[in-house]
Amino acid sequence: MSIETDLSFDHEFTLQELLTGVNTDKLLGALQNNLQSPARILNLKNECLFATQLSNIEPTEACNKTPLYGELEPIGFLEASCSPESLKSAAQLIQLILYSNSRYLMASDIHIQTQRDDYEELQRRHAALEVSETKYKQLAESLDLRVKQQVKTIENTQLKLYENEKLASVGRLAAGVAHEINNPIGFIRSNLHSAQTYISSFVKLDEAFKAQASISYLQQVWKEENLEFMQEDLTDIITESIDGVDRVAAIVKDLKSFSRINDVDQENADINEIIRQTCHVSHAQLQNKLEVILDLGKIPMTFCHPAELGQVFLNLLLNALDAVHDKGKVRIKTTVREAKICVEMRDTGCGISEENLTHIFDPFFTTKDVGQGIGLGLTVSLNIIKAHEGSLKLISKPDKGTLVTILLPIRNQ
Amino acid sequence: MAIYDEDNNRLTIKLVYYGPAMSGKTTNLMRLHDTLTTDLKGEIMMMETTNDRTLFFDLLPLGFMTSSGLLIKFKVYTVPGQVVHDSTRKAVLSRTDGVVFVADSQMSQSINNGQSFENLEANAGRVGIDFDHLPLVIQYNKRDLANIISEAEVQERWQQAPWPVTFSNALTGLGVIETLEALLKQIYDELDVEFKFMQQHNLTQQEFITQLIGYDSASH
Repeated sequence: MSIETDLSFDHEFTLQELLTGVNTDKLLGALQNNLQSPARILNLKNECLFATQLSNIEPTEACNKTPLYGELEPIGFLEASCSPESLKSAAQLIQLILYSNSRYLMASDIHIQTQRDDYEELQRRHAALEVSETKYKQLAESLDLRVKQQVKTIENTQLKLYENEKLASVGRLAAGVAHEINNPIGFIRSNLHSAQTYISSFVKLDEAFKAQASISYLQQVWKEENLEFMQEDLTDIITESIDGVDRVAAIVKDLKSFSRINDVDQENADINEIIRQTCHVSHAQLQNKLEVILDLGKIPMTFCHPAELGQVFLNLLLNALDAVHDKGKVRIKTTVREAKICVEMRDTGCGISEENLTHIFDPFFTTKDVGQGIGLGLTVSLNIIKAHEGSLKLISKPDKGTLVTILLPIRNQ
Repeated sequence: MAIYDEDNNRLTIKLVYYGPAMSGKTTNLMRLHDTLTTDLKGEIMMMETTNDRTLFFDLLPLGFMTSSGLLIKFKVYTVPGQVVHDSTRKAVLSRTDGVVFVADSQMSQSINNGQSFENLEANAGRVGIDFDHLPLVIQYNKRDLANIISEAEVQERWQQAPWPVTFSNALTGLGVIETLEALLKQIYDELDVEFKFMQQHNLTQQEFITQLIGYDSASH
């Protein structure tokens, strides 16, 4: 068939091609019956393509030959022993068959050709699609990987910053605490210095004693060296110094509870005491700008993480400090409400705008100037309170102030 | 691409009537079959659906013998105009020697004409035909209808194009032969270079046209 030889649907058909699918035995049998003669179909080169089987019919006339026409020109011959007229009409009948077969062949060939073209086109498009699909897949995979890496980097950085924030508030405290400690150390040193100068007076008296001086001389030295005053002063100096050392010890004790922020152990603690300690260690930082009024009620001990809660109160105190312009107040009130410990901190600061209020617990959200804070204070505080199964709520009105309410469950261990 | 068959001393030339659906391609072919008195004129082969839309193609075989004994055979095809039969259009257009673009003159058909012409240009490219050198005639058919684009407007539209424009009413046969003549002139010039009609076969352009149309030839 033409499809196998890869010819176009509109090539010139040979007689043989046009007889494809035609039952030539029946055709020739019919011819033989009508023409009363054996018949042969020949191609253009006079080669016999089909012939009737040898039969017992004897030809009555001489052998005649007539052309078989294709589209326009002869494509073969019909040969039989019969009258030229009979032969011609037989040829016309065969031509009708050839014509109808050529119609079928052309239709089927163009059908196959277009089907194949369409299929090849589809395959080409399919291949092109596959290529681009692979490309996008690879791109998507590498993109996914890069996003994951990036997310991990960001998470690690945030974790570090979060941890740093816990330490940073302690660092901020250090400056204030140093001031607090410097003060007593200053007067203790001055006192000790005075005491040191007193030693020479006692040495003089000691020398008089050892030389077995007279009472009157001893009395004279006692007077000259003003040992009467010295005795009183030494008492004062020592009392004052002990007091100073006690103050330092108290500060160190308060500070210690803050320095244990990474301590995982929890213990029974008094929230009021934690608040007091926080106020003590932050005293220097508040610089007389923020007056702290404590209104601490009777509340039970609770099993908690004192250092972490201390950090929460410190964060809130420092926020209140930042909120006041010139001078302001913060009232810290503790009560028991609905079987929970309730801590309320109400300041007279600038408040928070409605727009910012929705973001205050978002990590890294800050309205402070660069270098003043990284926006983790409230995030850390909220996380600590949540870890204690408590709640932290904030109500604020611009220019009026802010009320922070913390509720903590009472837990016994 | 005309095919020369040495064994049978036969040159086969392929012509294609292209254009949007229902523009009158098959009607053109039927009128040619009725009017032409070519020496050799075959049966018109039509492959249509029951509602008279061309399914694969129509084919009219024509031919004449030159005095030198060369059989020049023309196979005149139409393509199916409906958009869905694009693969068939491409197959029929393949290896053509010339194209008659049958446009529908009705105002409402301007867009279809334009899209079909773009499709012709695209398919010519796909089957490797050099469109710039393809013999082509633009035929505006259905001139008998109302609401048609005016001749002046058609001329203006195609002014810059290198192809001749003809006007026809294929139903009555008006302009059908003129269109074919306009195409045959170009085809003669194009093929004369390769097949030396004048030099080897003493065949002039006028004779080439007259022989096919059959006006002056003795009737068959």
